[in-house]
Amino acid sequence: MSVWVEGLVAALILIGAGFTLVGSIGLVRLQDVYTRLHGPTKATTLGVGGIILASLVFFTAQTGVLSVHEVLITLFLFITAPVSAHLLAKTAMHRQEKKVQSTRGEPWQQ
Amino acid sequence: MSVLFAIVLLPLIAALLPRLVQSMGRSTVAIVTALPVLLALLLLLGTAPSVLVDGELLQAAVPWLPQAGLMLAFRLDGLAWLFALLILGIGLLVIVYGHYYLEKSDSGGRFFSLLLLFMAAMLGVVCSDNLLLLVVFWELTSISSFLLIGYWSGQAAARKGARMALTLTGAGGLALLAGVILIGQTVGSYDLGTVLASGDLIRSHALYPLMLVLVLLGVFTKSAQFPFHFWLPHAMSAPTPVSAYLHSATMVKAGVFLLARFYPALAGTDLWFVLVSSIGLVTLLLGAWMALFRHDLKGLLAYSTISHLGLITLLFGLSTRLAAVAAVFHVINHATFKASLFMAAGIIDHETGTRDIRKLGGLRRYLPHTMALATVASMAMAGVPLLNGFLSKEMFFAEAADTPLYGSLNWLVPTLATIAGMLSVAYSLRFVHDVFFGPVPAALVAHAPHEPRRLMRVPVEVLVLLCLAVGVFPAVVVGPLLAAAATATLGGELPEYSLAIWHGLNVPFLMSLLALTGGVAIYVWRAPLFALQRRWPRPHAPAIFEQAVQALVAVAGRFVRFIDNGALQRYVSWLMLPVALIMLAAMASRPDWLGEHALTPVDGLSILATIVAVLAALATVVLRRQRLVALLMISVVGLIVSLAFLRLSAPDLALTQLSVEVVTVLLLMLAMYFLPSRGVIESTWWDRSRDLFLSLSIGVGVGLLALFAMTHPGATISTFFIDNSIPGGGGANVVNVILVDFRGFDTLGEITVLAIAAAGIYALLENLGLCLPIYDPEGRPWAKDRSPLVLQMISRAVLPIALLVAMYILVRGHNMPGGGFIAGLITAVALVLQYVASGVHWVHARVPHNYHPLVAFGVLLAGLTGLASLLLGYPFLTSTFEYIYWPIVGKFELASAMLFDLGVYITVVGATLLILARLGKLSVVEQEEGN
Amino acid sequence: MLSFALNAAFVMVGIAMLLGSWRVLVGPSLTDRVLALDTLYINSIALIVLFGIYLGTSMYFEAALLIALIGFVSTVAVAKYLLRGDIIE
Repeated sequence: MSVWVEGLVAALILIGAGFTLVGSIGLVRLQDVYTRLHGPTKATTLGVGGIILASLVFFTAQTGVLSVHEVLITLFLFITAPVSAHLLAKTAMHRQEKKVQSTRGEPWQQ
Repeated sequence: MSVLFAIVLLPLIAALLPRLVQSMGRSTVAIVTALPVLLALLLLLGTAPSVLVDGELLQAAVPWLPQAGLMLAFRLDGLAWLFALLILGIGLLVIVYGHYYLEKSDSGGRFFSLLLLFMAAMLGVVCSDNLLLLVVFWELTSISSFLLIGYWSGQAAARKGARMALTLTGAGGLALLAGVILIGQTVGSYDLGTVLASGDLIRSHALYPLMLVLVLLGVFTKSAQFPFHFWLPHAMSAPTPVSAYLHSATMVKAGVFLLARFYPALAGTDLWFVLVSSIGLVTLLLGAWMALFRHDLKGLLAYSTISHLGLITLLFGLSTRLAAVAAVFHVINHATFKASLFMAAGIIDHETGTRDIRKLGGLRRYLPHTMALATVASMAMAGVPLLNGFLSKEMFFAEAADTPLYGSLNWLVPTLATIAGMLSVAYSLRFVHDVFFGPVPAALVAHAPHEPRRLMRVPVEVLVLLCLAVGVFPAVVVGPLLAAAATATLGGELPEYSLAIWHGLNVPFLMSLLALTGGVAIYVWRAPLFALQRRWPRPHAPAIFEQAVQALVAVAGRFVRFIDNGALQRYVSWLMLPVALIMLAAMASRPDWLGEHALTPVDGLSILATIVAVLAALATVVLRRQRLVALLMISVVGLIVSLAFLRLSAPDLALTQLSVEVVTVLLLMLAMYFLPSRGVIESTWWDRSRDLFLSLSIGVGVGLLALFAMTHPGATISTFFIDNSIPGGGGANVVNVILVDFRGFDTLGEITVLAIAAAGIYALLENLGLCLPIYDPEGRPWAKDRSPLVLQMISRAVLPIALLVAMYILVRGHNMPGGGFIAGLITAVALVLQYVASGVHWVHARVPHNYHPLVAFGVLLAGLTGLASLLLGYPFLTSTFEYIYWPIVGKFELASAMLFDLGVYITVVGATLLILARLGKLSVVEQEEGN
Repeated sequence: MLSFALNAAFVMVGIAMLLGSWRVLVGPSLTDRVLALDTLYINSIALIVLFGIYLGTSMYFEAALLIALIGFVSTVAVAKYLLRGDIIE
């Protein structure tokens, strides 16, 4: 495996892991459930995407055959993550979870 | 010797027929029943020259469970031949009789099916050449006679009588089984020939008394000997053909047959003599005494049967060779005259509508023919000369007269025998005189009974003719048969005896004469006796029996209510307590739980994950009142456990854990919806301490056990599986090969259990009415939007991906992590997602949702895959595999185990959906009804 | 280089999971817990894929895929439960 490929894999892994971590930090640090939704659903999904991309490159380089089945996970996550987020947001609204000051406006009522 | 198999198996196979042709008319049913019996009878008669004349022993055997000593082995010697003749001959007559006896409303198909089943069971008992096989057929006679006695299941008396007979004879059968096993272990073989030849070995064994008592328990319960005699009179609520067959010639004779069969192996000791002869003597007298006072015709005959069985038992007990011959002879004679008497009683009952002697009288005017037949048969029963009963009774008196074994009480046996003879004459006289002579009761005059159909009398005529023929020409008619049967019983040379009517003026003849005159005298002056008997304290045996049964049921009920008080916690704690105790004991006995294998180094991430899992588990307990939160905590634990499986290189386990996890979560949420949110009772302090103790000790115990197993070297079975997975099972995934190949039978059992559980849950939820909560636990109304559109659309897109994954995991399961179980769960989850997203109606409009046949098909497919190997001559579930080359795809492997796995897959999909969809539908039904 | 990146990534994903677990444990709202659990599922996928690269085997790929599927189904089902009570109607 060439240094370039290894470097690419390493970079993708670090980027992915970084985003994953950021997503979770957001989950802990943000102030109310509506803002906390952003962290995991966006950053973490992207982070996992990065790691899976690293896996794709790594196994393609290792075996010499294009390794595509990792794409399936990415595809799956990218399809489902918005739905999960949507449903959770719906749930939070239905349950009238507490809002902080900065979570303002209810555009659907306007 | 295939004839032997044919004789026993013909009635067994034919037992299916009467029910099948039931719609084709009563006559067809009777003919279809009679023909196989006739055929079997002809086959039996065909063996007469070799068995009776040449004294050959016919044998046939097929291994059944040879490891346990159980062989499908039959023998036909003189004794078996005699009994087979009685069973088939009288059976044939009973079928003819029964056809005319049964009412139009009775189910002839059921009756004759059961009769044939019973006949086959009896033939099996008498022809068995293997002790275990004998017990199998013995139990079959108990069960089939239970069904026959309770044939009129609408009558409480029939049900009660049947249950009593089954309880007693079934319990006796268990005792017999224990005795037989002891004998088999002593001799080292269950082969009858070997056992009969090892009499000395058995008799000298320390456990001989136990063996004898156990076998005798079987004999005495079956042959209605004191103190187990009381079931027989109550079995009289059976249809009369059943009584004529079971309670004269076959079922009750099974007991005395066993005495004859085991005579060479068990008889000849003082214990045998004391036990068998005294029980026989008591039964002989008691039966005869009770018979005299019965007002029910069949009751009289039942007690008379008990008495005659006691006579036969007594003869076997006397332990002389001549007595055994007399016993065998009386078996023949009693069967003929008692069967004909039962049939006559049935005719009287059939024509007059009553069996009560007090309501009968003067029937000679209406039933002259029946009267003649019944009179002759009764005389045979009483032991009048020129009839068969006289001959065997004469032999009995002779044996009783010179029994020297009771010491100074020598006079006792002949005296009591004569008294029993008198009583026998008296009740025979009562049977004839009270019924056919004297004034006609007014009720009968109006009724004007008439003779039954011609063919209904034929069986009686045949039997009565036999009584006469044997009585007049004994040596010609019955000589060879008796000789062959007695030889087989004694297992050696026959003693000197002569079958003649007149032996000169000797003691037995005088006893006979005394019995006859005394009997007439008793009958004439019976009034004081009846008065005496009425004042006699009579222990009501059935009531005592019923009380005993009720007491037993009450004790069992209390025990069950103690264990099973409806609280799940208590069941689980009962199960777990022994586990915990065993764990503690094991830990205490092996302090060296840390073995010599080095521990695997641990990384930081694993420690972290373990801490999280422990915290989540604790949180589950602390937050258990908030059910959903607890559920989420359990999910965290499950996830981390799956990750641990992966970390420790067990991807199959991880996949299984993950898929089971999600199904569990779905199931719990479906159930939680219906749980009340208020009014939950908190466990007591005691309950919680108990649970804490159990969980701590089991958790720590399992942990230490695992530590022990993994740190101690030792040969394990896993090396075998790893070595043989590819060469033996054709798969690289050892876990899957174990599941579908090495332990395929286990898996088949498990999916069967799964299918049964699914069907059971479905049945339990059927018609279950539950209140739908209108508010959520926090008092908010539910959201209006039933199926969010985004969810619907995306879920539909997910379905094909999930199905693809499931297929992939199913197909590659044999070589890589995966398999039918996981794939089935994934498919089910993907379909459940559609239910969640789009609702039951949407799914059921598009997906075939009849899951019952699917589950059945899955189990069948797995089972048939196993059977296919049987067809090819290999043991059940042998797998085979082949490597096949396909262009483009390349070389791949096909294994029959994959088909098996497909069956597993289908069962899992069907069962999971059956349960989840049914739970989900609970609310749908409600809503539809509400609308 | 790769092993350093992997080790660093393990640490980062591990911390991410720890944070997610914390959110599951403390809540405060039910929605928070569900969201955090969903995040835990996704983090597990990352962890498994990293572990696959670390061992150089694609044996664990299906487990990752399966977690993606069941994470989604669980989240959807719990959300439906909170919204409607009855998840299959």
